[in-house]
Amino acid sequence: MKRWLLTGGLLLAAHAAHATNLYAGQSRAAAVCSQCHGIRTPSADAPFPTLAGRDAEYLQTALKQYRDKTRKSDIMNAIAGSLTDEDIANVVAYYAKLKP
Amino acid sequence: MMKKLTTSPYLAALAGLTALLLPLGASAELDAAAAHTLYENNCASCHGSDHGGFLAPALNAETLKGRSPTALRTIVMAGSFDTLMPPFYGKLNDDQIRGVIKHLQTTPKLPNPAWTIDDMKASLKVYVKDESTLPAKPTYAIDSIDDVIGVAARGKYGRGEGAKAVFINSKTHQQIGEVPTGTAAHIIDYNPANPRWAYIKTDTAEIFKVDLYSMQAVRSIKTGFNGPGLGVSRDGKYIMAGSFVPHNAVILNADTLEPLKTFELEGIDPDGKQVSSDSGMIIGTPFADIFAIALENAGQVWVVDLTEGFPVTRITDVGHHLHDAFLTHGGSKLMIASYDDSIVAAIDLKERKIIKKLEAGCVPHVGGGSAVVVDGRTLGFGTNFGDCDKTVVSVWDLDKMEVVKQIPVAGGTESPAAHANAPYVAVDIISKDRRARTIQLIDKKTLEVVKTLDVGGHAYFPEYSADGKFLYVSAGYSGDEVVVYDATTLAKVASISMESPAGIFSHGRVRYMTRGLSPDDLAARDGGLQGAK
Repeated sequence: MKRWLLTGGLLLAAHAAHATNLYAGQSRAAAVCSQCHGIRTPSADAPFPTLAGRDAEYLQTALKQYRDKTRKSDIMNAIAGSLTDEDIANVVAYYAKLKP
Repeated sequence: MMKKLTTSPYLAALAGLTALLLPLGASAELDAAAAHTLYENNCASCHGSDHGGFLAPALNAETLKGRSPTALRTIVMAGSFDTLMPPFYGKLNDDQIRGVIKHLQTTPKLPNPAWTIDDMKASLKVYVKDESTLPAKPTYAIDSIDDVIGVAARGKYGRGEGAKAVFINSKTHQQIGEVPTGTAAHIIDYNPANPRWAYIKTDTAEIFKVDLYSMQAVRSIKTGFNGPGLGVSRDGKYIMAGSFVPHNAVILNADTLEPLKTFELEGIDPDGKQVSSDSGMIIGTPFADIFAIALENAGQVWVVDLTEGFPVTRITDVGHHLHDAFLTHGGSKLMIASYDDSIVAAIDLKERKIIKKLEAGCVPHVGGGSAVVVDGRTLGFGTNFGDCDKTVVSVWDLDKMEVVKQIPVAGGTESPAAHANAPYVAVDIISKDRRARTIQLIDKKTLEVVKTLDVGGHAYFPEYSADGKFLYVSAGYSGDEVVVYDATTLAKVASISMESPAGIFSHGRVRYMTRGLSPDDLAARDGGLQGAK
């Protein structure tokens, strides 16, 4: 319980240091992600998963794993590699808020 | 070493390995035929069957000389931001992508492939054999068929499930039907004599005859490999279609889609050279039983009489690289854009001669054009593709045929929309940065930009509903929606989801000929013409 509280506190602190900006998230998502994943949905013919409405924590973890290559994907390792912590926070906040 | 190997027990193992590796190597290296098939099925509808480009750049040994195959592979895998180029990662495997790139970098632009009248005839498909079985009136609620708006939804890959024409009731903003087109729908035109028929032309030059009452395709024919040219005659009896590949045009029976006559597009260009030419715009006019067709490279406009043998009158030296046009004065005058001369030429379709060449902006692309009557003057509006230092929308007095104003706008523009009942002329900013998300609105009276709408996606092809109360805009590329605004307050009123929407075509166009003119004026003039007959 204490441990959970501590993590929560850290998350809040991180949150305050990098206040997410939905507008910046939208603009980054449009530039970096939407080509494959679409804004609301990817193309009917495309093999990419939908991001809109996905759990924020999951997206954040996935992007960071792609970035540090602990999760392997030729294309995502390259694309996530170009994102800063702030970019990731913004993009994640934007997609999590969108309705698919 | 070599000798040792040949005598060593490793030999058998090595031979086994080679045997294993060779077939793998062969499969990794696509043969040329397989690579070209991949190109045809995934790339050619935008980049051209002849590797000569169409909506997208030409991809051949010449244009890709010196380009890094790795960089090209990245573009193919991830797509290209701010363009229609989709990501092929996961759709094509790495060997296929490498194979296609090798193919592109070693293939020259191909000679213009043939597509003859016999090929066209053989491509005719009939989906509804007995058209008398079709419903007598629309199977959905709509006040007037003029309220139908058609949207060319490209689909992200320019083909597949997302590629279709989507039809919307422009009063309720609800989708009323959709017609899958296989490859991206490009142009939608309507039959001026019978409200039930629409015609869709795709990126791959297939034309679908569509029954708007039951929202289905009844027939289709492939008229070439690509090229947007499509027109319908005023009596609704003929369609004319023109191609970039090959260099020809065809007149079809609008009812059966059977080809009646093909035309080889060639002539002497403004520099005195005999050239073979792409087909530019094709237009039917309420003024007469004719088609006008632009020969892009030959710089000529041909007027085709819809009489026995379809005779052609050639108007030469119109301008370098002609493209699109709009009609004015009851359809007796044609305003046609010349990309390379940065002019719009006014052509008298009655006398069949050039009236005047008017200064346009930088690489004029008039789209469907617009004309509005303000304070007794008929003003034409022309957009410009070019992204020059000075980006303007040209306004011409169409009675005096002179430039009234060049209105500064935020960037290159592609298509102006206007309506007799709406206060603004809408133009789409297409410059490749954040500006591409926007539409600018020009006040008809002051001729100034008064508002910029942030639509999203690559916002283009604005179009008013037939009553002029709503402005429709495609949030194209990855925007994936059509956004609807109140034409006066400019408040957003609706959004309709679809994949990569592009051109928007109101059925109202058949009533007002050119967007912005009053349908009443045309009706009154039609009445006058009929009286004269």
